[in-house]
Amino acid sequence: MTDLLTAEMTTLDLPWEPDRARLRRERGARLRTTMADKGIDALILLANANVSYATGTTWPLSDAGRGNVERPVAVVLADDAQPHLFTPFVDDAAGELGLDADHLHGPTYLDLAEGVTAFGKVLADLVPGGATIAIDELTGAMHHDRTALLPDWPPRPASEVMSAVRLTKTTDELACLRRALWISEQAMAEIQADLVPGARQTDLTATYLHRVFDLGAEANVLDPIWQVMPKFQAELPWTVHGDIACPLISTERRLEKGDVLWVDSGISYQGFHSDFGRTWVVGEEPTARQQAQYERWAAINDAVVAVMRAGVAASDLTAAAAEVCGGERPWMDHFYLGHGLGLDSAEAPYVGTDLGDAYDHRLVLPAGTVIVLEPVVWDEGHSGYRSENVYVITEEGSVNLTDYPYAPYGD
Amino acid sequence: MATEALPDPPALRRGRRRRLLDAMEAHDLDVLVLGRVANIRYASGVPILWNAGTRPFGPGCIVVRATDEVFLLSTWDEGVPEEIPHDHLYGITWNPMNYVSLLEDIAASARPHRVGTDAMSPLFAQLLPMAFGEAEIVDAGPALRAARRTKTSEEIKAIRAAIDVAEDALAVAVGELRSGGTERELTASFMDAMASLGITTPATQDVVRVTSPGAATEPRGGRTVREGDLVSFDAGVVADGYAGEVGRTWPADLDEASPAVLDLYRRSDELWDRLLDACRPGAPASALLDAYVAAGEPLPATPVARGIGLGFDDPVIVRDLPETAAAETLDPGVVLVVTGVVSESAVGSIVTHEVILITPEGPEMLTSSPFWHREHAGAPS
Repeated sequence: MTDLLTAEMTTLDLPWEPDRARLRRERGARLRTTMADKGIDALILLANANVSYATGTTWPLSDAGRGNVERPVAVVLADDAQPHLFTPFVDDAAGELGLDADHLHGPTYLDLAEGVTAFGKVLADLVPGGATIAIDELTGAMHHDRTALLPDWPPRPASEVMSAVRLTKTTDELACLRRALWISEQAMAEIQADLVPGARQTDLTATYLHRVFDLGAEANVLDPIWQVMPKFQAELPWTVHGDIACPLISTERRLEKGDVLWVDSGISYQGFHSDFGRTWVVGEEPTARQQAQYERWAAINDAVVAVMRAGVAASDLTAAAAEVCGGERPWMDHFYLGHGLGLDSAEAPYVGTDLGDAYDHRLVLPAGTVIVLEPVVWDEGHSGYRSENVYVITEEGSVNLTDYPYAPYGD
Repeated sequence: MATEALPDPPALRRGRRRRLLDAMEAHDLDVLVLGRVANIRYASGVPILWNAGTRPFGPGCIVVRATDEVFLLSTWDEGVPEEIPHDHLYGITWNPMNYVSLLEDIAASARPHRVGTDAMSPLFAQLLPMAFGEAEIVDAGPALRAARRTKTSEEIKAIRAAIDVAEDALAVAVGELRSGGTERELTASFMDAMASLGITTPATQDVVRVTSPGAATEPRGGRTVREGDLVSFDAGVVADGYAGEVGRTWPADLDEASPAVLDLYRRSDELWDRLLDACRPGAPASALLDAYVAAGEPLPATPVARGIGLGFDDPVIVRDLPETAAAETLDPGVVLVVTGVVSESAVGSIVTHEVILITPEGPEMLTSSPFWHREHAGAPS
């Protein structure tokens, strides 16, 4: 980790513009060190976020249907300072990444047998026989041709390396993240200021998309959620586990006065994803009962933040939250109390999942880890409250990267 | 889009399910384990919350051929059709052994010999044999492509509806084109217009490119449009799961084009005459590559044609996959996005995307957005 997160830190002095060359250099060093530690000679990466991490390339992410075919792919060799990038966006990548020409390849089509064969030929030239290869994912066509591509089956998972290197963030990565959050927050402030009964959920999305692109977002990464939370759980869809159904897809439903809105969104800036979560009330001030929900939420959040510092176990966070609630776990059963954030909208570490307390006890969070806390207060008969804040864990405690008020509930 | 998230219409679901089961039978697959969003929607008919980018492989949907059952990863029943009962839904889990238990239960009654998946990961390469025992785990790609590559009439209806949104949103963005604006502002206009039409999910977010020389020195997305610049728009949306797309290139603030620009539009028209001629029912898809060669235009590195439906489909016709192109036939019911690109280094590029349905009688153009050069006096028609 950088020297940024020192014991005295209470705020982070992040640059407005990340230093992209330094970002790539620091990631490359981490990757190769970790590959050496794990005894992995070559990484083949297909997942969008892993390719971005390994090469520094970012692009406006498309719908998954198109993204599966127009897909940049990375090959990283432990003894080569430069990654190999196969991309349909060669001209963009050439200008921004500083890769040697022999490391920048045209697009590869791994969904198709002929594409896999061609990729296999290039791979055979890059990776010496007998090398230990790890991979994150295979297309169906790669799975079919696996004996030619990957001599050892099942292959080593690339997550052995990628989870380790992506866990803590560098200064420049945090700068990207902060900028992504800022873009999202600016757009949300305008929407909240104009929030009136009669607007459709999709109208809010229209304004949101317009503003985030104007403000410099590379892409939208989540169809924004403006979920109207009813008073009673029974008014929500049936669920497999008996907990509340959330998040539900936005539609052309029109908002009404007094609707409690759970808002959730994410955009990307230079590959980094934002996460925004707040509760709003349409056209009204919260009732005293709703205000009390927020205060309970704040007490839970404060209790977790109070124990959050480098070296804390995930189970310490869940215990702090549960203690405020008499032992009940104040988050949705199908999610978690908190999750990581970076090149994916939700990524490791996950705190408070169905992996259980023993897993959370072993999960220790180092300085530089980003955690999005999303406790939930459900008050049957009176709806509920949910907000999200993005924290960076430091030696001394944590720093809240989210800069958005709790209006109309609090400041 | 409606005011609640609904399952796909019954006729659409029935038509797809029939094709999927037929393809499973033809490819001798007893069970499908699907992880890709488009395949999950094809099999289940359930709308899925949209995220940008690829998703890691995991069992999002399981299809059992013998009983025509679908099991679905969905923590709630919103948008779930009647043929998928509550006990066939399973929730999100972080513990992979929960997937093994689920698949073991399915395997215990289905007793499959061959299980097909649409992708694979090192983790599931270990877990699937644990769940399915002796069954062979194979690539379901050929079966899925066989089902999806030609479209039912209900699917074509859905594609047409998506194209309508893409074309209306494109018209708004083109209306905002003027020198001094940026790629990003035009993209913002497109996204706003799309969402205002009730569709909030783009197929691509690489919407606007200034193609004229000099633009490439500025970072992608932030390039400023100058008078006379050729600006290409790739307008793609995903409406009710189906992609609709159209692409046009317009010059900024230009009433009268230079001879060089007019010549580029002429070359584009000549290329398109040949591309349309190649879209004959029964023709090899490689005819589309040949059209570029015959027109004397260099083939781009990206696909000149690709199937469209729930995202990308077969065929994918691209310069670097000549055998694939030669083996593919343009059968009636195939819906293609065909791309025409012509470039001149001193001028820029004209990029055009059209959606073409192959019918028994010939190609039917599903896109109808206007072209600059056919709208303006002094331009060739």
